[in-house]
Amino acid sequence: MEWVLWLIFFIMNLLLMAANIYQLICLADLEADYLNPYELASRMNAVIVPEFLLHGAFCILFLVTGHWFMFLLTLLPAYYNAKKYLARQHLIDVTEVFRVLNAEKKARIFKLGFYIVFFVLVITRLAFSVINAVFDEDDDLAITKVPWYLMLWFALEAMPR
Amino acid sequence: MGTENPKHPTYQLRPAATPFAAPQSATPFVSSGPVVGSEASAFRPAPPSSQIPTPPFSSGPLVGLEAPAPGYRPPSLGRSNEIVRPPPPPPSSLANGPPLTGPFQRFPAPQFTTTGQVPAPHTFGQPAVLPPTRPPGGAISSPPVSLQPYPQPSPISMGSSPQNIKTGQSSMSFPPSSDQPFSPPRPNVQPSSPPMGPSYPIARGNFQPPFPGYASLQPNTVAQAPGQPDSFSSQHGGYGPPAPQIPFLAQQRGYMPVPPVPPVSAPTGLYARDQMQHYGIAPPIATSQGLAEDFNSLSLGSVPGSFNTGLDPAALPRPLEGDVEPKSFAEMYPMNCSSRYLRLTTSGIPNSQSLASRWHVPLGAVVCPLAEAPDGEEVPIVNFATTGIIRCRRCRTYVNPYVTFADHGRKWRCNICSFLNDVPGDYFAHLDASGRRVDLDQRPELTKGSVEFIAPAEYMVRPPMPPSYIFLIDASISAVKSGMLEVVAQTIKSCLDNLPGYPRTQIGFITFDSTIHFYNMKSSLMQPQMMVVSDLDDIFIPLPDDLLVNLSESRNVVDAFLDSLPSMFKGSMNVESAFGPALKAAFMVMSQLGGKLLIFQNTLPSLGAGRLRLRGDDIRVYGTDKEHALRLPEDPFYKQMAADFTKYQIAVNLYAFSDKYTDVASLGTLAKYTGGQVYYYPSFQSTIHGEKLRHELTRDLTRETAWEAVMRIRCGKGVRFTSYHGNFMLRSTDLIALPAVDCDKAYAAQLSLEETLLTTQSVYFQVALLYTSSSGERRIRVHTAEAPVVADLGEMYRLADTGAIISLFSRLAIEKTLSYKLEEARNAIQLRIVKALREYRNLYAVQHRLSGRMIYPESLKFLPLYGLALCKSTPLRGGYADVQLDERCAAGFTMMALPVKNLLKLLYPSLFRVDDHLLETEEFHNILKKRLPLTSGSLDTSGLYIYDDGFRFVIWFGMSLLPGIARNLLGEDFAADYSMVTLSEHDNDMSRKLMRILKKPAVLIAILTGFYNYTDKSNKKRNILFHDPDDSIDSRQPPVMVN
Repeated sequence: MEWVLWLIFFIMNLLLMAANIYQLICLADLEADYLNPYELASRMNAVIVPEFLLHGAFCILFLVTGHWFMFLLTLLPAYYNAKKYLARQHLIDVTEVFRVLNAEKKARIFKLGFYIVFFVLVITRLAFSVINAVFDEDDDLAITKVPWYLMLWFALEAMPR
Repeated sequence: MGTENPKHPTYQLRPAATPFAAPQSATPFVSSGPVVGSEASAFRPAPPSSQIPTPPFSSGPLVGLEAPAPGYRPPSLGRSNEIVRPPPPPPSSLANGPPLTGPFQRFPAPQFTTTGQVPAPHTFGQPAVLPPTRPPGGAISSPPVSLQPYPQPSPISMGSSPQNIKTGQSSMSFPPSSDQPFSPPRPNVQPSSPPMGPSYPIARGNFQPPFPGYASLQPNTVAQAPGQPDSFSSQHGGYGPPAPQIPFLAQQRGYMPVPPVPPVSAPTGLYARDQMQHYGIAPPIATSQGLAEDFNSLSLGSVPGSFNTGLDPAALPRPLEGDVEPKSFAEMYPMNCSSRYLRLTTSGIPNSQSLASRWHVPLGAVVCPLAEAPDGEEVPIVNFATTGIIRCRRCRTYVNPYVTFADHGRKWRCNICSFLNDVPGDYFAHLDASGRRVDLDQRPELTKGSVEFIAPAEYMVRPPMPPSYIFLIDASISAVKSGMLEVVAQTIKSCLDNLPGYPRTQIGFITFDSTIHFYNMKSSLMQPQMMVVSDLDDIFIPLPDDLLVNLSESRNVVDAFLDSLPSMFKGSMNVESAFGPALKAAFMVMSQLGGKLLIFQNTLPSLGAGRLRLRGDDIRVYGTDKEHALRLPEDPFYKQMAADFTKYQIAVNLYAFSDKYTDVASLGTLAKYTGGQVYYYPSFQSTIHGEKLRHELTRDLTRETAWEAVMRIRCGKGVRFTSYHGNFMLRSTDLIALPAVDCDKAYAAQLSLEETLLTTQSVYFQVALLYTSSSGERRIRVHTAEAPVVADLGEMYRLADTGAIISLFSRLAIEKTLSYKLEEARNAIQLRIVKALREYRNLYAVQHRLSGRMIYPESLKFLPLYGLALCKSTPLRGGYADVQLDERCAAGFTMMALPVKNLLKLLYPSLFRVDDHLLETEEFHNILKKRLPLTSGSLDTSGLYIYDDGFRFVIWFGMSLLPGIARNLLGEDFAADYSMVTLSEHDNDMSRKLMRILKKPAVLIAILTGFYNYTDKSNKKRNILFHDPDDSIDSRQPPVMVN
């Protein structure tokens, strides 16, 4: 049932990406004067803490399921989040939004890029785990013994050049 | 002048150029410097024959100014101060003074008032014979002659008289030919003269005269070591004609025509010709003047073998005239709004980003939209009732003097975005032959840079609010004990009649200690009813109405309340402060209407939300990376409240009085983000600080205030305002929300170029402030200004405005202290100033061989001084021990809001000596003109001084002041400890006079004045002047000197 696990990862990753995109849109709206700072702050601040919690769960889930490499990767944004939180700078400050606007946007774009990379990783793992599961049910093909990265390599080799 | 001098009748004119011209061209002027300098060598005996022929020329208008001896410093210093002007013209031209032949004028002595003057009677041209020191009286001029010996000095001297200056300058520009000093025709004389004494004065004298237009020249003077060869030679070269000095544009524009003076000198050389043109025609010949840049210089080397640094403190430029606004620029663009309202750090906008990056000073503007206008210059009010307000359809710019009409008056072109708009039918007017509207003179919006439009209903979200004031007053024990409560109640009561907006004004009171007290002021009551709310967690308002009442209706109740307020809490022993909940309560009362919230806070908030704790006790934090956190608000509660206040159009003014730490850093954010102000009275005692509080509170309550305002600064294509600095909150990227604005608030903004290259000729700026006046009218105040786009860095420097630059610097630095150490903030300023001056130096130094000295543009001559003053100002000074944390923060909030003039005054306060006046030997108005430099050297122990920084007066009693004076002023207890004395009017002339002086400047200054007395008995002299920039200058050079 590994694919269920990967499905959970996949959904979490989607949510994280959505949260980031939402925040970026809010910031862009502010810049274009579609939002005033008060609305912006209330909207974004509502999302920020859940996002941090979700990311924490994401991170820990990798740890407990033994995906060391993925865990280490998620540790980077987790560290960033924790640092901001501890410095109490994670929320948007209504009075100074415009001063930090560019920095906030940049930080979120980086995070989004990070999640996109993750998205690719997670979706491949999901695909392979599904394939594995399907083959498992069918019969005992040796493919189950093949590690996922070898499978990926074979797949790439097989691709027409 | 020559005529005037009896002594020098013999002057001869030179045949002007001819003699010199060719042959010596290179070395035309020997600077007097040589004379001055000890170096005899410099002088060469008379140069070649060429010089010899000196036709007798008489005129010497150029030269001859005499400086009255008074200011003069004994030459003994060993250094002479001199100004070096870059010699404009190429060496070849012998600029001889001759061309200058101005009418002879005698310059009035007063001009020379500058300190270091030498009675330098000689103009150069004069026969050397002149006694070096002349009696002040005679003006000497032997200009034509000028060529000769002391050509250099002469030009300067000319400066003194305006006319002369101009002429002189143009003509005078001397060949820099520095290297070869040649001795003038009358070489003999000079050499003979003893190096220092007489000759010295001469040189100096010339320099000294301040140009009228200009701040005093003196400042420019450089101390020079006589002995040094290097400096010496450089001087020669350096002396240029004063011409460059004409502030700003003058150069470019050419000299004004001088009264026709016959060109005395025959235009022999090129130079001569140039000169002729200049003065004869006054054409702006920029090209020939390529060299004539206006910069001044200061040499800094030390004299070998002497213990002194080469710097003579008395020679440094000092802004004794106060803030001098760049006037020439305003004349160039008469339709611009006054510099009271908008000042650019440089009026020359760079045309490319690369140019902008070489201008190391920030590019930006300081806006004071409601600055007080002198009588007769009020902003005209325009009512567009029938047509609606005319604005550009695309960029929303308001119609202004710079829009152009086209298509027979049916269209108008926006000056900011170039969009062609239709002219509404009711606004239509025909154009005359020159394309101007025929009704131009009835349209102030098309002729004046500042106008006010009456805004129709579409500019209102709700009906215009009435002015409303809520007072939130701390009633804990310390507030009662210090007398704060009493002073505040009295002051408010005395201001009730003058509150703006009668009869619509609303007023309300809330007091708090560990509970919150509301007062029902309903007009039908005889006495106010007090209601106490002690549930701090869930604040509610006991009455929906009647807490905020109409002043004119409830006047009796309000009076009764204010009378009883001090006694109401007399026996209170409450030491707690439920400030946060009280703030919330005030917010609930005001949120319907908005208005102004005045907070009188005496005890660190200790109950409920917004509780604060003692910070800053831990000395170990200072000097570390965490230090700045102490200057930041601790609890986000206050920021959040401030944001809410702004949203509901509430402005907060904070008056803090605590004698202990009260966390102004946190509380001040309330004022910062609501467009308010912070007043801080450390250890308030009503006997000492009462007067100051009364004055400040009165001004706060009675000055004209604009309500529920928003402000936006628009600018032309290619440039953009990127950041704003001051006390306000941004509502969108460029919209400044200001719940209340008044004339004492200014806002700064930084500009950046959006395009790599600007192709337009000029850039326009438009400040629009939409507000509700106290009378209940919605208005839009619009200030428009044009600034030329320039391609030359030198031009940017010439058009720079020190006041605006310093204002912007101070705001940037204060903001920097919120996230970095103090030291870093100071270094950042210094670095930028050094970079800016170095860049300037690179522009000119090489070409004029001014090695070893600092050169700076006329427009920025006070920049280093103000920069230093800024670094010594309260928010930035020293380390943790130098200023209390609260004081630092409060000063920071204050400086973030100050208009340019007040800021400069705060940075470089004025100092007057008044005992002479009190003894009736001197006229009152003379005293105010005689500002003294802020050095400990200007304090004489037998004098009585007033020191005025716009916020307080310090009266300094010299130790050996005549006891009679002190007795008259202070009453019989004058011998007691001066620091505890209060100054009040006594029944004698002297005391009345002093009080009159104190009141007068108070009016002029417009901000507040408190009264402090100090004496030097306890060695307080240093303390008073501690933060004065000049003091201790000997031990510490201004930052710029680094170069």
